[in-house]
Order: sequence, then C-alpha cells, then structure tokens
Amino acid sequence: MNDRRSSSSDTRLRPPERFDATDEVPQHDPRPMLRFDPDTDSQPLDETLPDGVESALDRALARPRRRRWGLLVLVGGALAVGVAQSAMQLVDAWRLGEWLAGAWGALGVLGGGLLAGALGRELGKLRRLRRHSQLREALIDESPEPFALCDRLRRQMGLADDDPHWRAFTLAHQQHHSDAETRTLFAHHVLAPRDRKARGLITRMASESALMVAVSPSTLLDMGLIAWRNLYMIDRLARLYGLELGYASRLKLFRTVLANMAFAGTSEFIADAGMDMLSMNLLERLSARAAQGMGSGLLTARLGLRTIRLLRPLPFEENQAPRLADLRRELWTELKRLDRDGRATRDGDG
Amino acid sequence: MALTLPRDMGDMIERGFDRRLRLAVTGLSRAGKTAFLTSLVNQLRHAGLDARLDLMKTAREGRLLGAQRIEQSDLSIPSFPYDEAIEALSLSPPEWPRPTRGISELCLSIRYRTALPGRALIKAQRTLTLDLVDYPGEWLLDLPLLELDYPQWCERMTRLQGPARRAYAADWLSAVQKLAVDQSVDDRELAELAAGYAETLKRARAEGGFSYVQPGRFLLPGDLEGAPVLQFFPLPGITAEDRVRLSRLPAGSLYKTLERRFEHYKRHVVLPFYRDHFRRFDRQVVLVDVLSALNAGAEVFNDMRMTLGDLMKSFRFGGNGTLRRLFSPRIDRLLICATKADHVTPEQHPKLLALLEQLLDEPIKDLRYLDVPVKALSLASIRATETRTIERNGQRQPVLYGTPLDEPGDQPALIFPGEVPDRLPEEAFWHRQGFSFSAFRPLPHRDALPHIRMDAALDWLLGDKLR
Repeated sequence: MNDRRSSSSDTRLRPPERFDATDEVPQHDPRPMLRFDPDTDSQPLDETLPDGVESALDRALARPRRRRWGLLVLVGGALAVGVAQSAMQLVDAWRLGEWLAGAWGALGVLGGGLLAGALGRELGKLRRLRRHSQLREALIDESPEPFALCDRLRRQMGLADDDPHWRAFTLAHQQHHSDAETRTLFAHHVLAPRDRKARGLITRMASESALMVAVSPSTLLDMGLIAWRNLYMIDRLARLYGLELGYASRLKLFRTVLANMAFAGTSEFIADAGMDMLSMNLLERLSARAAQGMGSGLLTARLGLRTIRLLRPLPFEENQAPRLADLRRELWTELKRLDRDGRATRDGDG
Repeated sequence: MALTLPRDMGDMIERGFDRRLRLAVTGLSRAGKTAFLTSLVNQLRHAGLDARLDLMKTAREGRLLGAQRIEQSDLSIPSFPYDEAIEALSLSPPEWPRPTRGISELCLSIRYRTALPGRALIKAQRTLTLDLVDYPGEWLLDLPLLELDYPQWCERMTRLQGPARRAYAADWLSAVQKLAVDQSVDDRELAELAAGYAETLKRARAEGGFSYVQPGRFLLPGDLEGAPVLQFFPLPGITAEDRVRLSRLPAGSLYKTLERRFEHYKRHVVLPFYRDHFRRFDRQVVLVDVLSALNAGAEVFNDMRMTLGDLMKSFRFGGNGTLRRLFSPRIDRLLICATKADHVTPEQHPKLLALLEQLLDEPIKDLRYLDVPVKALSLASIRATETRTIERNGQRQPVLYGTPLDEPGDQPALIFPGEVPDRLPEEAFWHRQGFSFSAFRPLPHRDALPHIRMDAALDWLLGDKLR
C-alpha cells in the first residue's frame, strides 16, 4: 500500500498520522505457518516463470545475432560482377556484331532472371512460414498414440489406405508394440522406400548441377543454375516426404543455398582469372571446369542430405542415415555414366 | 582352468570365424524357460514363412532363410525335448509343455543371406550355428557358497528366515535346537535331520514360492541321493564370531562333522559343476516371472530380488575378441525378460518392465559399470491370450480373452487382470488388496506359435551375428 502510493504521481504530501499501539502489526512480517487438511486437492507446483521474467531470460539466453557478412559480400559481389560481365558482353557483342557472344550474354541475363525469381519466391515462402513454424513439432506432440501418429504421417504423405507400403506396415504392426517398435516398423515399411527415392533424386540433382556448372561459361549463369536446381530439389524432397518445412529449417537451408551460389560464383570467377593469369592450355582449362562442376555437385548433394534430415518425419536410426561419402561415389558413377553415354552416342553418330 | 579348450576342431574353426554362438537360457523354476526355448526354436523353424518376426531386422529384410536342428556338440547333456513340447501345445485343448528339470541342450543351424556387400561376393548364404543351453537358475545359487565358510553360511541362513519361511521350518527347527554343537553324532540321526531340512526347502519353494534355497542340490539330488555329502544343514544361532571357539571342538563333534561335509559339498559338487557347464557362454538370457512373485507377496518378491542378484553375480561378462572367443568366451550380451506379458493388458507392459528393472536394479548397476550391453524386455514366448476392448460405463476397457487354467469348466473368459505397479507397493497395500494374476491355457495354434516380442529378443540376441 505504502509503496504504491509513493510511487504514483500523486504530488500531495501525506498528512501526519498517528497509530494506536494496539493496532495490527505492519504486514512485513514473515507469514506464520499454515496448516491444511492433508486431503485438500493440490496440483504440482507450476514451474513456469512469470511473463516478464521469461522474456528477459529469453533475451539473455538467446543466441547472439550474427550477420553473415562474408556470405553476403560473396553473394552480392559475385552477383554484381556477374551482371557487369554479362552487360559488358552484351555491349561488346552489340558493338562488334558478334551475335553468338550476344546470345551468351542474353543467356546470362536469363540466368540472373531465374535466380532473382527463385530467390524472390523463396523469400515470400519464408515470410509465410514464419507464422506457423513449429509444424512438425506440433505433429509429433499432438498424438501420443504411436499408431495414430503414423496414420497422420501417412495422410500427410498422401498415401492411400491401400498403398502397398502402408499395408505392409499395418500387417506388421501389432497392438502390443511399443512406441519405439512402431516407429521402427514404420521407418522400415513406409519411410525406407522414400529414403531410397530421395537419395536417387539427390544424386540426379547433384550430377545435373555438376554438369551445368562445368559447362556454363558465366558467373551469373552458374549462380542462377545453382539456386534454381537447389531450391527445386528442396521442394521435390519436401513433396516426397509430404511435410512442409518449418521456418527455421527453411531459413537454414536457404542459407546453404546462398553459400552454394557463392561457391559457384566465386569459383567460376577464380577459375576464369586463374586461366588467364596462368595462360592454361585447353586441357587444363577443361579439367579446371570439371573440378568446379564436381565441387558444386558435392555441395548440392550435401544440401540434399541436410534437407532429408530436416524433412524426415522420424529421425534416422543409428548408422541408417545416408552419408556424403556414399553419395560422392554415386555422383562419380553417374557422371562417368553420362560421359560414357555421351561418347557412345557420338561414336554412333560418327 | 582359464583355458577351456573347445571340444573339437570344427567347433574351434567355427568359433574362430565367429560362426558359432552359445546361448544360455536361465531363470528360476516356473519362469518360462521351456516355453521360451520351444518358442525360439519354433520361430526360427518357421522364419520367412508364417512366423511373425517383424521386430527382427534380418527377418524383416527377408534375409532369414530358416533353421534346422543338428546334432549337439556335447552328447553327454540331455537334449531339449522340443518335439514333446510342441506335442503338448498341439493337444486339444492345448497344454503347457512339461517343465524341464535339469540342464538340456539343443543345437540349431540358422541360414541367412548376408547383407554385407564384400562377403556376398564369396557366398551369399551363410550359416550360424547356435547352441542353446537351458539350465535351472537355482543351480547357480550354490555358487555364492564358494565364498563362504560354514559359520558364515549358518549366519546367513538364519538371517534369511522371515516369518513365512520360519513357518515352513518350524518342525525342523524344534528338532535341531535340541542338539548341542559339541555332542558326538549318530549318522542316522544326522541323515534324518538333513532330510527334514531338505523338506523345509522343498516346501518353501513349492508352497511359498521362495527361490533363495541353499544348497540347491538338496532339491534335485540326482545320483547323490543318500550320500553323506548331502547330509548337512545350517545350525541356527551360530555366527561368524564363534569360529575360533568352535574350531577347538573335537573332530567327531556335530559341528566338525557338518563343517567337513559342507566343505566337501563345495569342493566336489559345486565347483566341478560350474567348471563343466557354466563357463562357456557367449550370450545369456535371464527369464523372470514378475507376476507370480507379485502374486506371492512382498516377502517372496524381495527373496526373488536377492536370488537374482546373487545369480547374476556368477556370470562372467566381458567383450569377446578372437582369442578369447576361442579359449575363454565370456558373456558379451545379456537379455533380461519379464515373461508372461500376455497375462496383462498391453498398456501395462511398460510398468511390467519398470518393475523388472527395479527387481534387478543392483545387477544392472554392475553391468553398467562393466559396460556389458543389456536389454530388458517384456515378452510372452507363447501367447495364451488375445487382447480385446469392451465398452464399460461409456469408457473403453482393455481386456484379455483366454481360458483361465485354475477355474472349473475350462471356459474362455474376458478378464482385466488388474494393474501392474511400476514399483513395489508399500506394506499396507498387501494386506488391503494384493495381486491375483491368473494363469491361462495356451492358445491353439496351427502355424508358428503366437508370441509377444520374441522377435525383439531374437534381434537382440542374434541380430549382430546375422548381418
């Protein structure tokens, strides 16, 4: 009482007051013991902190915000250089009447357009997702009954009731199976085929982007292709597992996409500069390009693995998660196969 | 002694290549050893056809091809009566197989397709030879005797006597209390008293459900029946402090005679037995019938806890490298099971498991310290009930559908057997309510035996060898 009055903006001074000695003792004393009937209903002590404290605590504990200046500079720089390169190419082409070079320049601008479009769409999606970020967590939390959870996941994935994989799971599942046992069976019968498909998709995407980056001549086109293929891959994987990515995971993946773009852009630039500086011959130039492509392919594969880890409704069991080493081998085989096929058709033509 | 040479060369080669496994199954009597082994052999025989082994990875991936019985390596051990057990289960109405009394052995050859790419180049189908050994857990109870001398043993036996146990021993106690430690003894009188002591042990086990009975051979004497080595008993009232005083007694006195026989029993019955049979296992299964212990009450439950604690101390644990696998194998994986899980409704299984872990808390701590992989499961080797739900007062109530054994009429019934506590209830509960889980007749079967989590058990015991 006392405190509140003095803290208010009341400017009136309090008149003197006299208390009777027999008046009640002031209320600052420790509270005396209270005894309750042992049968009284009682709840467990609520351990959540009051609102104000929590937000202060949150702020104190939150991870320091870190601007990724390096990444931004790389992406921005590569973009600027790429645009400048394409523009110069166009101008040169116009002046000299080299229509082929002009077409390449136009292609570069197209790549830039693709890139801008993909990035814009992604940013829009991110903003939308911020509102319902904890989708997967909620899904897991809501249904404690393991079989009901699996049924929800099935519907999320768009599997019909009579899908053979789902049928195999329901046949294997028995009433007495525990939570973990049900999940193991679900992972084996329903998720494993999807994992295999996802792996195939990643390998294909990785080899595609490896080839494209190796072949494409301009920085801007490289970056555009990488952004386009990577974001496409994320979407395809998400559709495969039937789960929308959460805001945080999407943001994390987007950062990886940006990093991949930065790699493609700068490596193209460095390769170009290096070739000129070291005056490489044709073979050396080709192998430098191939290495650049392979690097981009591997980064794409890594992004794919990361996406699967975030997307899979149930986390991988020990030693079951696909590893980059396996994918690298597959990627290499795939590239060799493409090479061989190409050669075969060429020989066939000749 | 540390060097137990394998029996023959083929055995040794198979062990060297890690293609042979010795799996021991134990448990106190009536824990479900026979049912477990019967079901295990049956599931592996039917693997890939009609056995439901979804929780076993090899079977789930379709790589398990099946199993065949082959001749066991040690021909002096009785064979496990698998055919008789299946016959009993195939009767109409089906009956539980007769419990095995002693040690028995069975050898299986398991065929599977390997999943390891390198090995498939040599040969895609591979074989694992599995020696199954089943022995009563009570036999292991004699092992702690090796660390005790006679006065210590007497003290321990006196301390063990709770009110329920003392009731079974009343007659024998009054007879033995008339004796004096220094009197000279008549062999016939001693034999009678020893028989009386054996009788109290038998009654405590059969009627009271107690499992900590020492010496174990008194219950199943075999060819030692009537031999003086089995004619001794603990003297009540003797403690370890009396040792010096008692050691001055003449050689013909009661105390000296009993002590001599006790030592003889230790050296010539317990030790060779352990050396011959219990030192060469790779994997160990311990079966525990938690529900019967709950039925019998707190004293029996605690008695079982002590028994299992002592029993598990006698295993030799540790990793098996190639050399050790050849010459001195140790148990490198352990499975503890709460059996008869089909006698409660499925939502009680986690609690059954919690209770099992409480029953074995001390051994589990030791195993953790030794870093031995151990897994606890609630399982039913051969299912005796089906799970149903009924609607009651607008709420769904899970129930069991099965034929209770101990009721007249032999009619199937719908029963909710009651909840399992997740820890041992306090004293007052036992007087107020107690437990009464009923026993059921096995379900009739046509193909593989129905079971609960036998596949998980198989996966834990064999999975890493069937890759």
